[in-house]
Amino acid sequence: MTSMKGFFRGRAKIQPIWVFVIALFIFFSVMSEYFLSFGNISNILVQTSTIGLIALGMTFVMINGNIDLSVGAILGLSASLAVGLQAISMTLAILAALVSGILLGALNGFVVWKTGVNAFIVTLGAMLGVRGLIFLYTGEQSFFAMNFAFADFGTSTIGPVPVLAIIFLICALIMHLVLTRTSHGRNTFAVGGNPEASIDAGIRLGRHMMINFIIVGFFAALAGVLLASQMGAATPNLGRDYELWVITAVVLGGTKLTGGYGSIVGTLGGVLAIGILRNGMNLMQVPAFYVLVILGAILISVLIIDKKLNAPSAKEVRI
Amino acid sequence: MFNKTAIAASVTLMSIATAHAEGPYRIGITQNNVGVDSYQTTYESAFEAAAEREGNVDVVVLDAGGDVARQIGQMQDLIQQRVDAIIIWPTNGQAVIPAIRQAHSAGIPVIVTNSKIAEAGMEFIAAFSGPDNVQQGISSAEMMCDALGGEGQIVQISGQPGYTTAMERAGGFEDRLAEACPGVELLETQPGNWNRERAQRVMEDFLTKYDHIDGVYSGDDNMGVGALNAAKGAGRADGIIFIGATNFAVGYDAIARGEYYGSIYQSPVDDAEAALQTALDVLAGEDLPKMNFFDTPKITAENLEEFDRPVF
Amino acid sequence: MASTEQTKVVVPLGKLSKAGVLSFLSAQGILIFFLIGMFVFSFFSEQFLSQSNIMTVVRQASIIGIIAVGVTVVIIGGNLDLSVGSMLSFSTVLVVDLHDKIGPTNAILLMFALTLMIGAVNGFLIGFLRLNSLIVTLAMLSAIQGFVLIYSGGQNVDIANQENTWFAFFGRGFVGGIAVPVLMFGLLAILIQVVMSYTGYGRRIFAVGGNPMAAVYSGIRKNWCVFSTYLISAFCVACAALVLGSRVMGSQNNVGQGYELLVLAGIILGGTSLLGGAGSIWKTVIGVLILGFIQNGLLLMGYPYYIQWIVTWVIIILAVWLDLANKRKRLFTSHS
Repeated sequence: MTSMKGFFRGRAKIQPIWVFVIALFIFFSVMSEYFLSFGNISNILVQTSTIGLIALGMTFVMINGNIDLSVGAILGLSASLAVGLQAISMTLAILAALVSGILLGALNGFVVWKTGVNAFIVTLGAMLGVRGLIFLYTGEQSFFAMNFAFADFGTSTIGPVPVLAIIFLICALIMHLVLTRTSHGRNTFAVGGNPEASIDAGIRLGRHMMINFIIVGFFAALAGVLLASQMGAATPNLGRDYELWVITAVVLGGTKLTGGYGSIVGTLGGVLAIGILRNGMNLMQVPAFYVLVILGAILISVLIIDKKLNAPSAKEVRI
Repeated sequence: MFNKTAIAASVTLMSIATAHAEGPYRIGITQNNVGVDSYQTTYESAFEAAAEREGNVDVVVLDAGGDVARQIGQMQDLIQQRVDAIIIWPTNGQAVIPAIRQAHSAGIPVIVTNSKIAEAGMEFIAAFSGPDNVQQGISSAEMMCDALGGEGQIVQISGQPGYTTAMERAGGFEDRLAEACPGVELLETQPGNWNRERAQRVMEDFLTKYDHIDGVYSGDDNMGVGALNAAKGAGRADGIIFIGATNFAVGYDAIARGEYYGSIYQSPVDDAEAALQTALDVLAGEDLPKMNFFDTPKITAENLEEFDRPVF
Repeated sequence: MASTEQTKVVVPLGKLSKAGVLSFLSAQGILIFFLIGMFVFSFFSEQFLSQSNIMTVVRQASIIGIIAVGVTVVIIGGNLDLSVGSMLSFSTVLVVDLHDKIGPTNAILLMFALTLMIGAVNGFLIGFLRLNSLIVTLAMLSAIQGFVLIYSGGQNVDIANQENTWFAFFGRGFVGGIAVPVLMFGLLAILIQVVMSYTGYGRRIFAVGGNPMAAVYSGIRKNWCVFSTYLISAFCVACAALVLGSRVMGSQNNVGQGYELLVLAGIILGGTSLLGGAGSIWKTVIGVLILGFIQNGLLLMGYPYYIQWIVTWVIIILAVWLDLANKRKRLFTSHS
């Protein structure tokens, strides 16, 4: 029993979410003839890349003990900019979109740093306000890319593998290395684990947190650009509720809301779990109404299992 | 250019017709947002029932939950499954075009249902089937004009911003009103997001803001009844002409009670059956026009008996 | 620009000599915002301060307000409730659908019972299993929406005979010239404010939210306290569903979508800290009203509806910052 616990707690280097991902994988392979094919797997990777990219950045912010609710709105704004400014120049449009994400991330981080207001509140405000900026900029209209070159990029492949899937996996690898091999990564854990001690250890807390907000802002914007390239268009409501799915994925991946604990490998598992579930339930034609219930039930079950496994060492989890 | 497209389309159709002589067909449908209102829900069950009756049709029914990105994912899934035809109820008239183009280049005919896509995507679809929403806006403007005798101040509660149906109805209404009825002034337009409660709030704000309102045009009856509720609550319903579109059961009843002037009769059952039939015609290689509108007549107290009460 | 707004309010406060006045004003900073806002809007729009407009705004705000009263209790107890939006959809669809089937009285009773049951599930998972409230209620947000759709089959529900049912009272009635929704909002707010301020139960909720460990050591049954806050929240949602269902006399399945965020925005604006252990119902009332008047005032001034979101963004952060700055007696944090 203790060895089982050790196994599930990640000591055997397999995180519980990956057990779940593998189980889902086997389940759907048996249940649907369409599931286990190269085309379907790359579809899943492309479909999860949007949530996945944001989740990479969100993992850093959440290990810090913060949260960012504005990512869906940032994604929407960057998508609108990436398409709306193409009339001037494609390069400018994409740059502007990415810079908008970096700036909004920086703004969130700066406000958290300087005012000391809880990140939940700061980014809840930004979630509303940035959505307002999108409507203001777009005049409530959808934008459409004039040439298909932009959309062709979103659907292009290198060999048989979709470009978007490759970008997502490379970003995941880079962020994994940053989190595990650099001083910034170590500081991220230190700040989340014990903010006071990290200040004593010489970490510049405010700046450090701001950098992580910039990272998540950048990834939200990147996801926005890539999503827009899949559609060749942007809609003002794009990205609504995505923050909920991103947070769900990161939490499924084992990152603690209290901070100080988490990993990119886990987040990748969390993202894939949601992607495979959605795809598999589509293939099995589970009615959309039940999908909502199943997703909710799974999330709660994972929390309960996690709680049972980690019961003795658990800190009181609150925001 | 137009000819070339037509030839390309007919070539595609011919090749498909030879490939699948007479089924069984596997048709995938990705819907906009089932459950958000009764029209879409009734559409879904009518579609499934129609496919059942057809016998040789196997359908894959998906719902995008209103999210463009998810709908594109579902298009990719359907292409991956190599269905014989895809019916799409676009969540957005522009953003789905690349996905439709992908299906087109994979040789799968795409039928757009209910809500049009932008001009740029027309060359990639086999056919459109649905109501003519511009015409509906025009009809509503004419009803408004008749009811007001060409004079008055009105407000408009439109559908979801950025959604093609909402824009077409509002556009048709505004253009026709300005042309046919210059004496009627449109004071303000606010979105009601296809939501009755939201429309009720919007109308309450209009009623405080404007002391004199002669008419209300709503993008559908669901919102129109919300506006009616608000006016009744303020004790001002008697002096106001209410006109909607997509006649809902609540709207039908309100017309019968004489509280609501008129609407546009649009049946989700007709809509769903037309979409399936169009898809089957395309698969059978029949030569059909690109735009297939089903009839959506005006409905007022005068001709109310000619129509069944909507089931939604 | 942000910092000048800030000093405008903080500096004069600092100059006041009487400590009592100072602490009153710093505690009621949000009220000052409120009054300034009302003044600005009335300057730009004649109708803004008209009696009918004020009544409309307060009536529209009362649904969010009723829910916010309950969620404030949850937050004081140290947790969050994001499931209220879906729960509102659930309760409204239920009461409207059952109205014609089993009569208004039974429909209302059954709706309250089932809503409280959902609250109990939330409370059990968070209070007894000690799961994280943000994630649990997020999961419930999704699951309950699914239940609503399964229950109704995705169809709208309507009350057939709208003219002849006393159910209309809750959303459309008036008592002594005051709209019933406003009355319910006011009564619930007063009732729960009294419970929170003057009863042992209220003090225990504050203790549990403020310092859970100390609360447990002093013999408070923390599990039950947290559990009960979710029942209160569910009860308030059920009251809001009465108003909403009766007001519209029908319901869509997603009618409550997004309410959880508006409710939170109102609470935060009022100045209740999300950390738990502090806050008050009447602050929430002010916060919700501010949201309502911002929305209404901007619309009357002719701005499109989305401008209110941008304004809310700025005001939420300023309001909380003002509060924090007052407590630590300096504008910025000392972090580097």
